[in-house]
Amino acid sequence: MQNEKTATTAPEGALLKVENLSVSYGHINALKSVSIEVFLGEIVVLIGANGAGKTTLLSSILGITPSQSGTISFDGQRIDKEPVDKIVRKGVCLVPEGRGVFASMTVMDNLLLGAHHNLKNKDKYLKRVFEWFPILEQRKNQVAKTLSGGERQMLAIGRALMSEPKLILVDEPSLGLAPIVVNEIFTILQMLNKEGYTILLSEQNTFKALKVAHRGYVLETGKVTLSGTAQQLLNDPGVKAAYLGA
Amino acid sequence: MQVFIAQIINGLSLGSIYVLLATGFNLLLLVALIIHFSYPVVVVFSMYIVWVVLNATGNNLLLGILAGVLSSIILNVVSAPIFQKVMKKRGEVDINSTMVVSMGMGFIITDILSHSFNHGFPIAFPENLTGSEPLFRIGLISVQVGQVWSLAIGAIAVSAFFVLLYKTRAGRAFRAIAEDPAGARLVGIPIVKTGIQSYALSGVMGGMSAILIAMLLHSASPGLGDMLAHKVLAVSIVAGLGNLVGGLVVGLALGVIEALIQGYAAGSWSNAIAFVVMLVVILWKPKGLFGIKV
Repeated sequence: MQNEKTATTAPEGALLKVENLSVSYGHINALKSVSIEVFLGEIVVLIGANGAGKTTLLSSILGITPSQSGTISFDGQRIDKEPVDKIVRKGVCLVPEGRGVFASMTVMDNLLLGAHHNLKNKDKYLKRVFEWFPILEQRKNQVAKTLSGGERQMLAIGRALMSEPKLILVDEPSLGLAPIVVNEIFTILQMLNKEGYTILLSEQNTFKALKVAHRGYVLETGKVTLSGTAQQLLNDPGVKAAYLGA
Repeated sequence: MQVFIAQIINGLSLGSIYVLLATGFNLLLLVALIIHFSYPVVVVFSMYIVWVVLNATGNNLLLGILAGVLSSIILNVVSAPIFQKVMKKRGEVDINSTMVVSMGMGFIITDILSHSFNHGFPIAFPENLTGSEPLFRIGLISVQVGQVWSLAIGAIAVSAFFVLLYKTRAGRAFRAIAEDPAGARLVGIPIVKTGIQSYALSGVMGGMSAILIAMLLHSASPGLGDMLAHKVLAVSIVAGLGNLVGGLVVGLALGVIEALIQGYAAGSWSNAIAFVVMLVVILWKPKGLFGIKV
């Protein structure tokens, strides 16, 4: 936490570089030539309404949704044709929308699934996750469906940390959570970032997201229409009108 | 009372085979995401291979058992690419296409068995596999060594399977795919590779079933696979598709019901009566006694 890695320490190359990515579902073009970059140590937020393509972008980065054209590079290597499990091994992971944990499996099983490809280091990572989220250690033998919404979100984040990620993709973490829990989740994401994790976040709670992020991209109907630092976006009249209700 | 005890033992040993087959069927359904209706037909094919190997080696039991288990693993794993190809989209149980592939496989195997082995007549397994002396006998009813063995091995195999499912890395991945294939893919579980592991594991269970059926029935015929396939499908549906614990209970129950009918009523009607019982259950609980888990 003493780590002072911020957006200003941008290295020569981006950790994640998406160039001219297009994705379509049948006749619907979900993403139209989208380009974004995420540098080591950043929190970058994707802003946009429902259906703007935020989730599609995150799932194509992880390799779940195939792309029609464009490239995705991670750590200097093309990953856009790799299968999901290889991309996870390289250090990208996704905390899915709606806290997609395995409801009928125990908290411990869920965490170990996150470490499926590096079980030999599981004790080290379990210890860290339990330091972050002591509640998960108390409930490690409970099945996940008995957890509250906030606890499930913590489990989903903890599971992601078990995979030894460099880049954490977080899809709509605040969805359906009480405001006080949302604050807690955002604080956790900020602390994780200070520990050195790079985070790409999709969020409809624009104000809160921009408050914790370094930079952001605005997505509208599958296109990037605006990008800049969080402060620039917070002050942008268009963003204010469309997403901040001001 | 002795008849009752004998038939309970008979029923449980027959039931343990239904359990093994239903477990393999459910594993394929949950993890490989296919409905392998003809899985028991493949098992009967392995029985024929055991018979061929026993004949060729002068009844070498070890080689026979090995051939049974290995052939079952190979037959299952080899069928994996066919199923995969037909299922265009991973992550969904494409019931229609996998059912057709499986049924086709069943027809082909049954035809091969009736044309190419023993002129289509039933095959008989040698006494050193089935055991010659009944353990005890009351009138027409007896308990054979093979029955006790099949009960014991069945119990060990099913317990080992549950330990694997709940205590190992592969088992955890199996359960994750069973619960949510898309979610499992997202956390980085290799879906295809894990699916093939489930084919292999079903193969192991199928191979053991092949040996146990041989010990229990002493014989096999080309039609045996279809009969078992119907029963295993019925057991799985009555228990609740994909429900492993349900398959365990209903499989044993079906074995015991059949044995009791044979012991106390008309033996030749046991299939009909057992299916009437299952029909009543499915009318009463359409989603199975223990609930669908797919």
